[in-house]
Formats: sequence, C-alpha cells, structure tokens
Amino acid sequence: MTAPQTSPPAACATAPSAVAAEASCRLPVLFFAFSSATWLLFGAVLALLSSIQLYQPTFMEGCPWVTYGRLRPAAVNSLVYGFALQAAFGLALWLIARLGRVELTNPLGLFIAGKFWNLAVTVGVIGILAGDATGFDLLEFPLYAALPLFASYACIGAWALITLKARTERTLYVSLWFVLASLLWFPWILSSAQGLLLGWRVPGVVQAIVAGWFGNNLLQVVLIGMALAVMFYFVPKVVARPLHSQSLAQNGFWLLLLIGGWTGLSQLSAVPAWIPAVSGAANVLLVVPVVVLTYNLYRTADGGIAEAWKRSGVFRFVTVAVVLLLLVTLRNAVFGIGPGARYTQFTYFAGARTDIMVLGVFGLAALGALHYIVPRLTVAQDELPSEGLVDLAFWASVVGVVSVAIGYSFAGLTQAAVGAMADRNFLGEAVTGVAGHLKLVTFGYGAIGIGALAFLVNFALALRRCCAACCGGVR
Amino acid sequence: MNHGPLIAAGAFVSLACSWAALVMAPQVQLGSLAPAPIPNTSDVHPANRPGLAAQGAEVYRSLGCYQCHTRQVRQDALLYGARLVDRGSNASTINLELPGSGRTNLVNFNLLIALAKSRADLGITPVAVPAVLAADTNVAPVLKEFAAELKLLKQFDNKAQIVRSTSKTVNDLAATLPVEVLERTGPDEAERAVKLINDAGGKAELVIYNLGPDIERGWGARRSVARDFVNDSPVLLGSLRAGPDLACLGSRAPEKFAAPWKFASTNLASEMEQRLLIHLYNPRLVAPASTCPSAKYLFATKQPEQRFAGEPLQVPGSDKPVYPRHDARALVAYLLDQRLDVGLPEAPVTKPSVPAKIAAAPAKP
Ligand code: HEC
Repeated sequence: MTAPQTSPPAACATAPSAVAAEASCRLPVLFFAFSSATWLLFGAVLALLSSIQLYQPTFMEGCPWVTYGRLRPAAVNSLVYGFALQAAFGLALWLIARLGRVELTNPLGLFIAGKFWNLAVTVGVIGILAGDATGFDLLEFPLYAALPLFASYACIGAWALITLKARTERTLYVSLWFVLASLLWFPWILSSAQGLLLGWRVPGVVQAIVAGWFGNNLLQVVLIGMALAVMFYFVPKVVARPLHSQSLAQNGFWLLLLIGGWTGLSQLSAVPAWIPAVSGAANVLLVVPVVVLTYNLYRTADGGIAEAWKRSGVFRFVTVAVVLLLLVTLRNAVFGIGPGARYTQFTYFAGARTDIMVLGVFGLAALGALHYIVPRLTVAQDELPSEGLVDLAFWASVVGVVSVAIGYSFAGLTQAAVGAMADRNFLGEAVTGVAGHLKLVTFGYGAIGIGALAFLVNFALALRRCCAACCGGVR
Repeated sequence: MNHGPLIAAGAFVSLACSWAALVMAPQVQLGSLAPAPIPNTSDVHPANRPGLAAQGAEVYRSLGCYQCHTRQVRQDALLYGARLVDRGSNASTINLELPGSGRTNLVNFNLLIALAKSRADLGITPVAVPAVLAADTNVAPVLKEFAAELKLLKQFDNKAQIVRSTSKTVNDLAATLPVEVLERTGPDEAERAVKLINDAGGKAELVIYNLGPDIERGWGARRSVARDFVNDSPVLLGSLRAGPDLACLGSRAPEKFAAPWKFASTNLASEMEQRLLIHLYNPRLVAPASTCPSAKYLFATKQPEQRFAGEPLQVPGSDKPVYPRHDARALVAYLLDQRLDVGLPEAPVTKPSVPAKIAAAPAKP
C-alpha cells in the first residue's frame, strides 16, 4: 500500500497517492483520535461530578481527592490536554499528510510520543487529584507532569513540521496556515509560561497575568486556530466548491494571530488597570477577523448549506462549531470590556468561555472531523458504521454544549446581579439561588459524555470491521 | 502564502508582540514591587507570613479553595472627605460666657470662616457677643477681623453667585464633634478643606471613601492591588465567586460573613479561629445552606498523642470533640492572615471614627 521506496529527491518529485499518505497516518492519528475521545469521556464525567458538588455539597464529601477544588481542575485539564490538544495533534497530522500530499515522517515515533503525552496527562491529572496542582488556571499540572508533557510535544511538533516541510503539494492551503501557526504557537506559550511560573517564579500578580496570557493563547489561537483549520478544510470539501475568497482568508488569518494573543485578560482585577483595558479592546477587535473568516465560510457554502447539512455528518458538526465561534466571540466582545466585563467578572458567566471554546467551538469541530477521518483510516469509507450513533454523537454533543453554555451563563448573570447590589443576599441568591442553572450544566456535561461514548462505540465498530476485513483475508 | 517560513515568521512576530505587551511589560512594571511601610508603625504591608500561615497557603492551594473563592476585592470609586475632629483654640478663639460665670463656650471665629469657605452651601451667622465682652481689648480685634472676613466672603459669594442656605449654618455644623465637613468629593476639594480648617487652628482629617458593592458588603476596606500579593507564590487570585471573596477574611466583621454571627466574648481572635475551624469541619454547621465543601479530613476524631494535640474543638450538635490536624490550623492561620484594612499609597483607607451618617443602611451579607 505504501509508495514505492525511492531516493529522497525523487520522493519529493513524485507525490504519494492520497491512499498512501493516509495509510501513513493510520497508527498515530487513530491513536490520537481514540485517546482524545476517551479523555473527552473521562473529562466530561469528572466535570459532571464536580458540577453536582456545586449544589449538592455532601456529594462525594469527605475525601480530599475528589473535593470540588481538585475535581474541577482535573476535569478541565483532562478536557484541554487529554481531549482538545490531543485531538488537535491528530487533526494536524492528518491535515498535513492530506493537504500536503505527503507520508507522515516517523509514524511510529509519533505514536510513541503520543503514548508519552497520554502518560504525562494521566500523571498530571492524578497529581491534581493528589493535591499537587500549581494553582494556575489551565496550567495546573505539576512540574513532574508538565516537563514530560513538553518533551512529548517537542517530538510531535517537530515531526509534524518535518512532514510539512517534506510536502509534495507546495501550495499551502488555508487550513495548513492555521495548523502551522498552532503548532508553533503552542510550544512557545507553554515553555514561556512554565518557565516563568514554575521555573523562574515571577513575583506577585505577574504570575496571574502570565497564566492568564497562556490560557488565553491556548484557547484563542491554538485551539480556535485548529478549529478553523478543520472548518476551512471541511466546508469547501463537503459542499464541493472552492473557497470563496483566498484574500479574505488571508486577512482573517493574520488579524486573528495579531489580535488573538491579546484577548482574555479582562477578568483580572488586582492588576494595573491598563491590562484588562488593553485586553478588553482586543476582545472587541477580535470580532473583525472572526466575522471575516466565518463570512468567508458562509459565502463558500451559501446555497448548499441545507443539502450538505442533510447529507454530511461532518458538516453538521462543523456548522454548529462555526455558529458557536461567532457567538462566543460576540459574547466576549460585549462582556469582555468595560462595564460588561465588570458586571460578569468572577461569575460562572465569564468562566463559561473556556467550556464553550474547548468543548463547543473546538470540540464540535474536532469531533466532526474525527467522524470523517476515523472511518477513512479504518474501513476506507467516508462514514462510520452506525449512522444512528453518528446522529446520537452529534445531537448529544450539541445539546450538551448548549446546556453547559446556557446553564453557566444564566447562573453567572444571576450572580452578577447579586454581586452588583450590596443589599442582596449572597448566600440565598447567588449560591443556592443558582442551583437550577447548575443542574442544567450537570445535564450538559452528561450529554457531552454520551456524545463521546457514542463516537467511541462507533470507533470500536469500525475497528472491528477493519480487523475482520484484514484478519479474515489472512485466514 | 505558500512559504511555510513566511507564515512561521509572521506567527512569531505576532506572538512576540503579545508576549512583550502582556508578559514583559507587567513584569517590568510590577517586578520590583515591594511591601509598603504602614504609616506611624514600623510594620510593612503585606507582612511576611508567619510559618504556619505560609503552610496554610499550601493547603489552600492543594485543596483548590481558589476554585470557588476569589481574593480580589473590587471598588468602583475612590472619593474623599474632610472630618472636623477638634475646633482648636488659638488667638481667635473666644469664650462667649461672661468671665466669672464658670462656664465656657469657646468659639473659634477663624474656624467658622474656614468652614464657610469649605462649604459654599451652608450659611454663616454672625455670632452674638455680649456687650461686656465685645468691649474687651482682646476680643474687639477678633470681632473686627471676623466682620472683615465676613464681608470679603460675601463679596466673593456674590461674584461666584453662591447662594447660601439660611436655615443650615456652619455654626450649627461645628456644634457637635466629630463631624463630616465634606463627604464624597474629589481629593482636591477635601484637601483644601482640611488645610483651611487646620490653618484656622482647628483639627481636621482627610476621610477616604472606597465605594462599591464589594466594599459595602464588608468584603474589604479597599480594593486589592498588585502590592497585596508580593509575598504570595503561587498567587491564587481566583476567578470565580461561588463563595464570598476571602481577600480580607482576617479582619471581616462577624455580621459581614455569608452567615452572619456575633462575638460572644471579648476574646475575639480565638473566637474567630474557633468559628473558622468549625466552618472548615462542616460549613453546614454555621451556614445551613452553604455549598462550601467540608474538610473533615483535616480533623482527627481520636485524640492524638498528647504532645501533638492542639486544643480540641467542640463541634455544635456533637458531644465528642474533634482534633484539628496541623493542616487545619495552618489553613485557618492563613485565612486569618488575609487583610485589606491597611492603606497603601495606591489604595488608601481611613478608619471612620464615626459611622458615616450617609452610608446606606447596613448591607445584608
Ligand atoms: C464549591 C465551592 C467552594 C469551595 C471549593 C470552597 N468554598 Fe468556601 N464557601 C463557599 C460558599 C458557597 C460559601 C458561603 C456559605 C458559607 O459561609 O459557608 C463559602 C464560605 C466560606 C467561608 C466563610 C466566608 C464568609 O464570608 O462567610 C470561608 C472561610 C471559606 N468558605 C473557606 C473555604 C476554604 C478554606 C476552602 C478550601 C478548603 C473553601 N472555602 C472551598 C464555596 C466554596
């Protein structure tokens, strides 16, 4: 199945077939796909359990390992490092191989590095549950997990870039811009933040600023960038039309990179006022690239949306992700600056940004893409074996994400209203008063878990069919 | 855009910009921030944490209390006021009671003028001086000067089109002490009033109003600023208020807790510690609706070996005492160490010596 072995210069000249390129992805990409979905399931369960504790404090009480203060960061870090980043690696590798018409460099090495990544995430999550969290949002993994994490990424990132360099299709499609930017962005922010926080230990609130900067870059550029890579690949592909405008995509891309790194710090209070102010302005400016990019996608698909929605599971996932991207950016523009930011500061409303971006925008786009990639790499088809499970995964994930977003947002708005008026009862209105909304959040995490489970079952079915085909042939 | 290196370089530059602005610049600005001396004492704020509280910070981090509690008090406005605490006595102060009557009714005429200059809304009434006194050689020049000052004031008022009240006067204002001469104004106006009063021989102090719902709620006397955290590592600011802010828990008034309570004795420090230990053991014992997780695992039910045992803790609703472990004591020491009642150059406070009359009704917690 692999391309004939030739000397390197010739290999550059003769492109491997699409089948060969995909075949080289099989081991690492399927591994990343499988383990990221498993972490999604695991993280959703942890998030579900911790959200119950917000209104049912006696739930799982009495054991420090599962107290809310540890369970919640364990859930978030599982979702970000276990699910989101791992899915991003799988997607990045596949997109590079596919769009660059190239076989992956060192698939076995990538697989092993992926194994180590999983090991590091596992150690990190156990470390958090054991009480070793660093205390920085989205960077909670203790040093003994963070260093191996970085080392495994260094391998994954390096091999991905080497593969990109060796591509035979020289034209870099839009998706690959985003992939390249994310692949480069991540090691820089990670090393910079870990160096300053865990190594050098910058003093005082600078720590909180650095952690906030890291978390925002991770969400806004690395993960949203990967989500956009998926969107720009699948939307034109499913509707079978060329991208509406190359130059719009280019402008949107550069603006996103330029502005994206500045957003998200408007939630800090005990810092010099210029920091939330600058960040708030960036929150507003970010609307421009996001609108430009989503408009480009819309124009590409315009007219074929309804038909593509019916026909393609991937398209449904991606479409919802695009809509969520637009909504979360607008929400952030309104509630990320000035009085709006002040009003919702320190509430579930502001915190929900992470959930919406990781599980909603990136999560749905990635799950959608995996629904296309996994069957291609296993049974060489465009759809997973069970159509019912595809539908279940889609609807459960969408309902879950929307419930989490709405539940947190309404709980947060209630908190904000109480917080703004000193004569309102904090305990009665802002704590016990939001239990109803938080139950919706619990339901949402449950639904997301079911979505992940449906995908995993479908994955297993595809694997079984694949094995049956191969092994059956041998016998 | 077919050149990978071009895109890589562009990404590098974009990221470098945001890094320089949001990582480098804050470090340059805040990196050398140091504790500030507390005026009139040899202490600094924030003080170095005593060992136990420093260990408590680790427990706080380890149990993830920052997931539900912020340590950042916010404020909407910083306003100033002037408070008259002493009318003073100087050459222009005259006893209006007759000599030999045994009574005193001192009036500082300069102060009246100073108050009138500070408060353009209040009237000023000429003081009735008994004829016997007015002839006194010490009193006559003072009265003459007062009359001259009044005339000047009148001229000034006319020019500035100031209409003074006839029913409310500075004479009444100065009758009871201490009194707020100016409330919730800008710093310049308040400082001017303080200077006028002090120059007139009276004694005034600058009052600082930190305003905003957090402060009204009693969560802190002022906002939290970067300097409050220079001794912390890791800095656990928190980003969600599922529970109350804890930035100033150590000096919080009992009635300002989420579940208000009262001191039962005069041994305030130990009572507060008891209260927090019980809250830690089971928050539902002090606030039945609380969703704060219990940290029962920080308490032993059997008495530890005598040498290591601290005071046993009597838990409401149970006749058997529990024994706080070291971590529980450390955590409480850390919580008690949280204070914002100390002014800093960038975030001043004054302790009101009289409850501000115009303050809104006491906030429900
Ligand atoms: C699930 C969120 C949550 C976590 C985690 C949490 N708390 Fe709380 N906390 C609350 C809520 C809600 C209240 C308000 C009700 C009350 O007084 O118990 C509260 C109140 C408090 C109070 C009383 C403050 C006041 O103003 O009344 C203290 C002290 C406190 N918590 C300490 C802690 C400590 C220490 C930890 C870490 C072991 C912690 N909390 C973890 C939710 C939480």
